[in-house]
Amino acid sequence: MTDEKTAPVNGSILVVGGGISGLTTTLEAAEVGYEVFLIEKNPYLGGRVAQLNQYFPKLCPPTCGLEINFRRIKDNPRIKTFTLAEVGKVSGTPGHYDVTINLNPRYINEKCTCCGDCAKACQMEISNDFNFGIDKHKGAYLPFEMAFPARYVISPQIIGTEDAKRCLSACKYDAVDLDMKAKTIHLSVGAIVWATGWEPYDATKIDNLGFGRYPNIVTNMMLERLAAPNGPTKGKILRPSDEKEPKSIAFVQCAGSRDENHLPYCSYICCMASLKQTTYIRERYPDAEIYVFYIDLRAPGYRYERFYKKIKEDQKVHFVKGKVAEVSEDSDSKNITVVAENAVTGEKIRQTVELVVLATGMQPTAAQAKPSPDLKYTQDGFMINDFERGGMFAAGCANKPADVVSSNQNATGMALKAIQTLVRK
Amino acid sequence: MADTYRIEPDINFIKEVRTLGGQDLKKCFQCATCSVACPISPENKPFPRKEMIAASWGLKDKLIGNADIWLCHNCGDCTAICPRGAKPGDVLAAIRSYAITEYATPKALAKAVNDPKKLPVLLAIPAIIFLVLGFVLKAFGIHWLNFNPGGDMIVHANFFSSWLVDLTMIPTFLGAIAIFALGLKRFLNDIHRNAVSEGKTDKKKIDSIGFLQALIRIIPAILKHNKFNECTENRDRATAHMMVFFGFIGLFIVTNIFFIALYVFQQHGPYSQLNPVKWLANAAGVSLVIGSFLMIKNRLSKTDQGVRYADWYLIGLALALGLSGMLTEMTRLGGLAGISYALYFIHLILVWCLFAYTPFTKLAHLIYRTVAMTYMEYAERK
Repeated sequence: MTDEKTAPVNGSILVVGGGISGLTTTLEAAEVGYEVFLIEKNPYLGGRVAQLNQYFPKLCPPTCGLEINFRRIKDNPRIKTFTLAEVGKVSGTPGHYDVTINLNPRYINEKCTCCGDCAKACQMEISNDFNFGIDKHKGAYLPFEMAFPARYVISPQIIGTEDAKRCLSACKYDAVDLDMKAKTIHLSVGAIVWATGWEPYDATKIDNLGFGRYPNIVTNMMLERLAAPNGPTKGKILRPSDEKEPKSIAFVQCAGSRDENHLPYCSYICCMASLKQTTYIRERYPDAEIYVFYIDLRAPGYRYERFYKKIKEDQKVHFVKGKVAEVSEDSDSKNITVVAENAVTGEKIRQTVELVVLATGMQPTAAQAKPSPDLKYTQDGFMINDFERGGMFAAGCANKPADVVSSNQNATGMALKAIQTLVRK
Repeated sequence: MADTYRIEPDINFIKEVRTLGGQDLKKCFQCATCSVACPISPENKPFPRKEMIAASWGLKDKLIGNADIWLCHNCGDCTAICPRGAKPGDVLAAIRSYAITEYATPKALAKAVNDPKKLPVLLAIPAIIFLVLGFVLKAFGIHWLNFNPGGDMIVHANFFSSWLVDLTMIPTFLGAIAIFALGLKRFLNDIHRNAVSEGKTDKKKIDSIGFLQALIRIIPAILKHNKFNECTENRDRATAHMMVFFGFIGLFIVTNIFFIALYVFQQHGPYSQLNPVKWLANAAGVSLVIGSFLMIKNRLSKTDQGVRYADWYLIGLALALGLSGMLTEMTRLGGLAGISYALYFIHLILVWCLFAYTPFTKLAHLIYRTVAMTYMEYAERK
């Protein structure tokens, strides 16, 4: 965008969170000439979107969108990115904030070429959080192929072990630095945009839905990883107990959402996510029977409604109005029987399937750890924007449950709000 | 369901159910979690999801004459898991309260029984009956109510004659049975019609022999409290209910033995503590008192379940009956004549209340639930 010398602007913007919302706010603000610090707690940018197989409703891979954004970040000298970074203390007022940022060591410096020799040398394997623990990776790893910054990471778990030394000696480029220490830096910024995003609701808390007890019950985000070409099964959807191709799948909607015992609100995306995921299964296993158990199907807007209608025409996708409230496992076949009342016919349904997908909802990251005492939250941990006060704003799913499109629109708006704070100071 | 159904909402019914303990009824969004959570709900047309929408829409005729509201034992499994806090268990309890009033006559008495402000009047009725009868009889030289019985031994019959007890209690008991009989005839017709219209049964009509056979088949399950034990959320209730239930049955048996012994064998009380009938009486009394206390404890510890006046009335009555009976006996053995006679008088007031008001109180579930469970067995509903 505009790269010519525009009117000099004072102050800079801190964006917390490098998911799709944070990336958008960062780019929108930087591309009109503002200095932006983007911090991300993971070793990579892209957030939840990076974990998806496809977007709805266009069913395109999110990697292309992320790639363009990463390119824009790389090319923009006004953006300073910190990964493995978390906000420490925030003090000050709108227009003048002092922020401490805690930087965790990556143990790999910018000389890394992603050759992968360190990972080969490392023996210890650790749970792969990017794949929700479905598989493991080495103690030295690249979070995923498209990871930006494109640099390996050494897990703190292997620091001080023989493995760390093996990584060090395996690296031909002098990129492994085991002496890297945690650091704290100070930033002075005029505005802060919190794009801290969401966590999939912990499905083990939903006692009656059996997640964690029965291996063939997975979450919708796990299914994204199973369907993704760079996932643990290279895009084949195989059920966890025996790596078999499932012939029947049940989707359990509102798993923990719209439920006062869990998340009292609608998570907005899960209906569309499940509808989208039926296409993953139809594409791979044309004979599989798919059951979607729901309270109400919510496909907001014309485009989503059209998508839903298309799926509804599919003879292999069966919609049942009734929430699954009980599951059981057959100990031999490891098949799962879900129980619901079909509220249309008034019959109790016991459907046995080979794989169950829980459409778990989103919980704001801030519900677990509230970052700044100066922010206001809803009871559920979503940040409330105080536009009158200004200075700090929440974007995307930190503010409310949202899909990618709405998050981007919202994040663009928050870039403007942040800019207004700087101009008015 | 297949045919068109003209919805005629009864707004007052909705209001009534909400005041009877179903105040969160409208929070229901029909997810049907409750029907699955319920351990005793049938496979075909399970409850309470359909009752929740019918109540929300004010479809009184789909609920009052619906046996399913009685199949529910109010264990609270549905309420615990309900994602909306709509408390289906409490709503069904409220609908049952409404149904009891609906099938009982006279209505005014039914209303009074459910109104805490009327309680003193209700308690005063038997006291007045006893006193008036006693004084009127005295005028004719019959001393059935003698405030100065004297004697070396405390004999309650010398104070309040067995004749007077039976003269008041037996007609009251028979009256209650008559009121039940009137209500039951309508009730049975209604639940059958409802079951046929909602496709819950293939039976065209109720044949009495088959129905009685079904009753005999379900009695063991009732005695063993099988349905209570299927519950997960509130299993402690089974013990408490069983103690109160068998306490009442034991005392009913004892009363009948006394009655026969008195009129057939001319055998007067009080019985010796060594008499096996006395053992049964004491065990049943203790069971009633402990069971009532456990019920109070369970009710107070379950904060997510509503407790209504109708619940407290029944638990209070059971406890008061047990306590007044046991204390009457203990003061008699302790030689406290005045206190013992006073307690006996209170005890008789409570016994009369038990008989007279049962068709209008929550205790009517004894009859309606038994009939509903029998009907379910008869209708072969699984």
